[in-house]
Amino acid sequence: MAVATLERPSRDNTSSDPARRAPLVLAGNDYASVTEKVCRIVEVRKPPRAWTLAFTIAASFTGILGLMVLYLITTGVGVWGLNKPVSWGFDITNFVFWVGIGHAGTLISAILYLFRQQWRTGINRFAEAMTIFAVICALLFPGIHVGRIWFEYWIAPLPNQMSMWPNFRSPLLWDFFAVGTYFTVSLVFWYMGLIPDIATIRDRATTKARRIAYGLLAMGWRGSNRHWHRYERAYLLLAALATPLVLSVHSVVSFDFATSMLPGWHATIFPPYFVAGAIFGGFAMVLMLAVPCRQWFGVKDVITPRHLENMCKIVLATGMMVGYAYAIEFFIAWYSGNPVEGFVFINRAFGPYAWAYWTMVFCNVATPQVFWSRRARSNPWVIFAVAVFVNIGMWFERFVIIVTTLSRDFLPSSWNSYTPTWVEVLTLMGSFGLFFTLFLLFLRFLPMIAMAEVKAIMPAPHGEAHR
Amino acid sequence: MTWGLLAEFAGPAELVSAAERLRDGGYTRWDAHTPFPVHGLDAAMGIRPTRLPWLVLGAGICGCGGGLLMQWWMNAVAYPLIVSGKPFNSLPASIPVAFELTILLASLTAFGAMMVANGLPRFRHPLFASREFLRATTDAFFIAVEAADPKFDLEATEAALRALGASRVVRVEGDA
Amino acid sequence: MPPVELWRSLDDLAGDPTLRELVSREFPAHADEMLASSRRDFLKLMGASVALAGMTACRRWPSELIVPFAHRPEGYVPGSTLQYATSLDVGGAATGLLVTSYDGRPIKIEGNPSHPQSLGATDPCAQATVLQLYDPDRSQGVVQREGSGEPAPRTVEAFTTWARTHFASLDASKGAGLRVLAEPSSSLALLAIRERFARRFPGAVWVEWDPLSRDAAREGATLAFGRPLRTHLALERADVIAAFDADLLFDDPAALANARAWARRRRAPDDVMNRLWAVEAGYSLTGGSADHRIAVPSVLVPVVLGRVAAVLARAGALPGLPPETRAALERFSSHSFDDPRIAALARDLAGAPGRSAVVVGPRQPAAAHALAHLLNHGLANAGVTVWYSEDPEPARPSHREAIARLAGDLNAGVVDTVVVLGGNPAYDAPRDLDLAGKLSHVKTAIRLGLYDDETSEVCDWHVPQAHYLESWGDARGWDGTAGIVQPLIRPLYDGMSAIELIALVADGKTTPGYDLVRATWQARLPSPDFERAWRRIVHDGVAEGTRFVAVAPELSPGAAAPIAALADAELPRAGTYELTFSRSASLHDGRYANLGWLAELPDPVTKLTWDNAALLHPEDAKALGVKRNGDRVAIEADGRELTVPAFLLPGQAKGSIGLDLGWGRRRAGRVGDAVGVDAYALRSSDSLWRAEARVARRPGTDALASTQDHHIVDTLGKREQAIRAEELVRTGTLEEFLENRAFARERVEIPPDAPLWTPHAYPGHKWGLAIDLTACTGCHACTIACQAENNIPVVGPAEVRRGREMHWIRVDRYFAGDPAAPRLAFQPMACHHCETAPCEQVCPVAATVHDHEGLNVMVYNRCVGTRYCSNNCPYKVRRFNWFNNHKHATAVEMMVMNPEVTVRSRGVMEKCTYCLQRIEAVKIAAKNEARAIRDGEIVPACAQVCPTEAIVFGDLNDPESRVRAAHDDPRCYGVLEEVNTKPRTRYLARLTNPARGEA
Repeated sequence: MAVATLERPSRDNTSSDPARRAPLVLAGNDYASVTEKVCRIVEVRKPPRAWTLAFTIAASFTGILGLMVLYLITTGVGVWGLNKPVSWGFDITNFVFWVGIGHAGTLISAILYLFRQQWRTGINRFAEAMTIFAVICALLFPGIHVGRIWFEYWIAPLPNQMSMWPNFRSPLLWDFFAVGTYFTVSLVFWYMGLIPDIATIRDRATTKARRIAYGLLAMGWRGSNRHWHRYERAYLLLAALATPLVLSVHSVVSFDFATSMLPGWHATIFPPYFVAGAIFGGFAMVLMLAVPCRQWFGVKDVITPRHLENMCKIVLATGMMVGYAYAIEFFIAWYSGNPVEGFVFINRAFGPYAWAYWTMVFCNVATPQVFWSRRARSNPWVIFAVAVFVNIGMWFERFVIIVTTLSRDFLPSSWNSYTPTWVEVLTLMGSFGLFFTLFLLFLRFLPMIAMAEVKAIMPAPHGEAHR
Repeated sequence: MTWGLLAEFAGPAELVSAAERLRDGGYTRWDAHTPFPVHGLDAAMGIRPTRLPWLVLGAGICGCGGGLLMQWWMNAVAYPLIVSGKPFNSLPASIPVAFELTILLASLTAFGAMMVANGLPRFRHPLFASREFLRATTDAFFIAVEAADPKFDLEATEAALRALGASRVVRVEGDA
Repeated sequence: MPPVELWRSLDDLAGDPTLRELVSREFPAHADEMLASSRRDFLKLMGASVALAGMTACRRWPSELIVPFAHRPEGYVPGSTLQYATSLDVGGAATGLLVTSYDGRPIKIEGNPSHPQSLGATDPCAQATVLQLYDPDRSQGVVQREGSGEPAPRTVEAFTTWARTHFASLDASKGAGLRVLAEPSSSLALLAIRERFARRFPGAVWVEWDPLSRDAAREGATLAFGRPLRTHLALERADVIAAFDADLLFDDPAALANARAWARRRRAPDDVMNRLWAVEAGYSLTGGSADHRIAVPSVLVPVVLGRVAAVLARAGALPGLPPETRAALERFSSHSFDDPRIAALARDLAGAPGRSAVVVGPRQPAAAHALAHLLNHGLANAGVTVWYSEDPEPARPSHREAIARLAGDLNAGVVDTVVVLGGNPAYDAPRDLDLAGKLSHVKTAIRLGLYDDETSEVCDWHVPQAHYLESWGDARGWDGTAGIVQPLIRPLYDGMSAIELIALVADGKTTPGYDLVRATWQARLPSPDFERAWRRIVHDGVAEGTRFVAVAPELSPGAAAPIAALADAELPRAGTYELTFSRSASLHDGRYANLGWLAELPDPVTKLTWDNAALLHPEDAKALGVKRNGDRVAIEADGRELTVPAFLLPGQAKGSIGLDLGWGRRRAGRVGDAVGVDAYALRSSDSLWRAEARVARRPGTDALASTQDHHIVDTLGKREQAIRAEELVRTGTLEEFLENRAFARERVEIPPDAPLWTPHAYPGHKWGLAIDLTACTGCHACTIACQAENNIPVVGPAEVRRGREMHWIRVDRYFAGDPAAPRLAFQPMACHHCETAPCEQVCPVAATVHDHEGLNVMVYNRCVGTRYCSNNCPYKVRRFNWFNNHKHATAVEMMVMNPEVTVRSRGVMEKCTYCLQRIEAVKIAAKNEARAIRDGEIVPACAQVCPTEAIVFGDLNDPESRVRAAHDDPRCYGVLEEVNTKPRTRYLARLTNPARGEA
């Protein structure tokens, strides 16, 4: 054991040796150096070339997204490949996908915070940012997929000349409230965490413009301990509130399907299954972002191998939950003795969309298994690759659920297939563009690591512990 | 005129012990400024627990009740419609929205109440004027005693702070 | 009674100073905007124009009197609809119609209940003719093509003056070089004018051509009886019906009457059902409804008939059979082809003397018809289930001879003037005659046609024909019943009717159609009280006592030889196939090619829209290397080749290929051009209905626009379809039914349902619908009726391929049972108005909800278009407006819209409403008269047109209502009841009546 400890390279803190507590911040950083490391990213005149390149690409895809949406709104939903019976396709697939991505952020922040998982501090900030941006992408799709966008506000319970009110029995309305709430709360949670760090940047600011901009955002935070007192309490409460919220959001999203009557949708397993899937996909996305970020922005000491490894373990665990759900769905379809249900699942695995189904199974169930090996868990390249696979797999999961069911429901006379048009494909790519554009802007202008929190878990400079 | 004194301490531990003694010294209008929440400092300063949680609880209850009430009124009273042959008012269908509204109101209250109680946003403050104070959000640990404190006496207090182990003490000009 | 004035068209009115001045007085600010017929203002302006029409008409047009059907025009209320009776003559047989007119615009065509050839029903084509009236591609003026020069517009006056002098110049030769090429017509007025025509031009020849000629039946009668008698059916008396290549329920001049009579005997009210046998090559709707269907190549149909006759003869079921005929029949017994069911059919016929009917279709040779007559006489059916009448034109040569002779004359150059009345011979005449080429060379060719089409292209003069809804005329049904054709609107474009043109030729002067028709009837009706009688006929649309008188002809022995010759029929040589031509179910002979409603109406059997295809037996397909629908094949017949997409049709006779006529038009119009392939190209005068063809696979596959079984349905799905078909269209034999009347309900297990709450009560009206699958023949009349009534848009082939057709009521077609000899099963599917409608709970904005009478109402104005309702609808009967489907509709096209029904905007969901507007109209009427609504008073469009009365609508709370009775019927079941939707539309299980031991 001791030998092993000695042999382990110094930058590796992924030990599970209970005898020795691995540090969460490496290379003997102190408060100043952490601040310096994090703030430099925001303060340097010229961003890294990688950032500029990535931003250019992302921004141009965002532009494409804009054009696609414009085309859609001016011409009609018919520009998509949807039909009767498949009247949801890429649109809702993307919606559920992005909402799922949006789970890891708040989950890491809230649940890990409640469980006092200190390693969260390294990653929670940009995990939360990821949540916000993912949810923005998610909200885009239900926003544009309706036939008459200009009347969409009717979904909100606003007093109107028709004296009509929305129908609260509709899962879509639950969605509206769930995702809306989730977005608002996540935003508040994120911003609240940002305030002290923005204050730091404000105080380091060298130009008037920055001082004013960050000054406004910092809301006059001055690290007063009387403030910290209420701040911490409020933060704890938010975490406590956000935790059930995270779980509720994807449950409600799954109600869109679970409360319908279609074979393959009408299933009680959906809420837990969707939540597990969301955490799975969300963590995969965090990994996908964390690996290159720590590389490009030199924050390897703060987002340490241990962080990555912990997330890999979560991906492995949730991945197997998802795999279990796939299996049990088949069992139930058979066990229920409902022939229509049975056919839908046989059709999923062997019908016209079998390719999508098996892609999903491979990506979500097979690939994460490599994380059983520590070598894989500590190799950024492997981690990144698996993360990408999982994201693909999770997208296909939603596609399979939506399209295979709709294309083969009760009456064979109305069976049909669904093929997306170029508009839908470009819109999907565009949504990634939007996501990365926002994320890159965040990296450039806001502290990507929660400095205050990291400092709080660093050993005190003079070694002596508080009473 | 002088707003007060700003004393810097080497680290969290020093700050905490200083705070305790300052508290025992009977000072009331003073505060500590740290780059991150320091454990034990609240007790050391003798801060009473905030009533924030009760506010949040109240907000949550309002959200839940309001949500249920809204749905009942809109779907069963204001404009009842036969939907899928279901009853005009049915609790199961109302639960998701009621739940979300509970969370929403509670969360917004938690944040809002915290800001209000902290008197934020506040963009002008004498402390912002002092150069040293800029490091308060990076790696410096301060105690600020206001001139408005009844026990405040420029020389005496300054001496006291130094006695507490302040690495340095500066005067902060301006009026709150 | 004050006359109802007719006016011409909006544009005339708009251009008319009187209106301009009046409108600007009424709406000074908007005068111009109003007169620019923008879509929104259009109806407003139409409203205004009604009032003004009188004045303008007085000033510019002679006032004529037409008589509304039920209402009287005094106290005429703008915005209220009137119905007028008229008749539509297609191929010389008329159907009586009632046309609904809204503020002077005909908007809906329905059957005339008092017309024996309609009985209130219509076929899809007749209903769609209202769209033809407003077709912007109809020719809008006289056109002259000098030599091969550019078409030059001319005024009608210019033409008439030219025509007067031209025909005057023919007097010298007594019209020796004059030919009239006309489509068949049953008009008495035309007959009268033709007499005058013949007197003026004794040398002229009147040629009649019908691409869907039924002359084989005439010739058959001539063989059997010595003269061309017309055969009629009285199926209400028939217990056993044997149809030999005869689609007597759909493709027949008396189809509507036949279907009604057949269906009446089908529902087993007294536990007795008729039995229908079909012997045919391709699937006809009659074959689809048959209890037994023997699929044999068309060429072998007479052999089957002969074998049946032989068996009957031997069994002595055909008394008084002359020996030579008996000998002729014997020859069939030795024919190589045999089928066990033949004996059964013979037994069945023998068992029902005087209660059976043997029917042979127009595509079979004359001798086969003669043989049928023989059987009907032998079985004592003649005069009972089958009756005969004298042919209105006994002297007329058969279409085939007539057109061939004309072609000959044109060749010989003895013709200098040809007048083409309607039709489209250049397109649909046998191609070997090359009529198009010959017409282009004749000195003077004058064409009267609705469209400037293939024929007009080769004629010197094109004269726009007035649509039958724009012109006066008269027509006789297949049974002789005469009715008046009265115009509903002034010709939209300078139009002339056939009688007006011929009158011009015969009399050298223009006479209004009204006078021509009136004069004709003046001669036939009692002189003292003519006015009354005339008005009654115009009002009813039916002239009493004009039905043909039945004759009891004697068999003449002459038929033996040709009948014997039938026994020599052999299958096509190896390597070749039999190619049979058939009428397109939607485009008829091609005349309706430019009507979007019909082009998009799925073929009942193949479900193809916007296309025709070569129908192949799956095994033949395999042999040819055709893997899936749409694969191209080249068909070569009579030296001409045609590349056609193939379609694998279970139930198609092996070795026989079916191909629909009427597609592939070159000059149909913007809608119909180059849609499908032109099967006439393969047709020769000696093989009008059947040709020997070589077939080969060609590279390439066409994407066929089908509304069902899109090619992506894989084998897995196909197997599942077969399983579900049995549960959806529950079919039982009469035997089974008599054993267990509730057999249908026991087919699927319905889990017991204990409601968690007290369901909503519907104390007032409780609307419901029932569809009797035993009666449904799958004719799709309901689909078109719904489309016309509810302003349902046409989306075009590309959108149909995407699965975006908009029909509110579709007719699902399933193949059930043995794949080798599958059973056709039809199931009309529209919104079921479920009491626990799954669509409603998922709509976030409550755009679809239940009303207090239990209707699932769709609130277009509230819909934001999430399409969730459609996803959650287990019947998939909701339709979404993916685009603005009315964007490009012109003002004229808009005239066909039903103002009672919202035209849906882009991005909203729509679906069947049970014709809410009709329900409300009746409720209002009943309220005004302070009475209860009578059962059967509210008739949705689909139920109204159904030839077999398969659809019943009414109030389920009324214990006396027919729909209540239907829902209580033991045969009644709900589709997908097991998912607890509580549908208000329910089905009566399909009963079949196979012969004992032949099920």
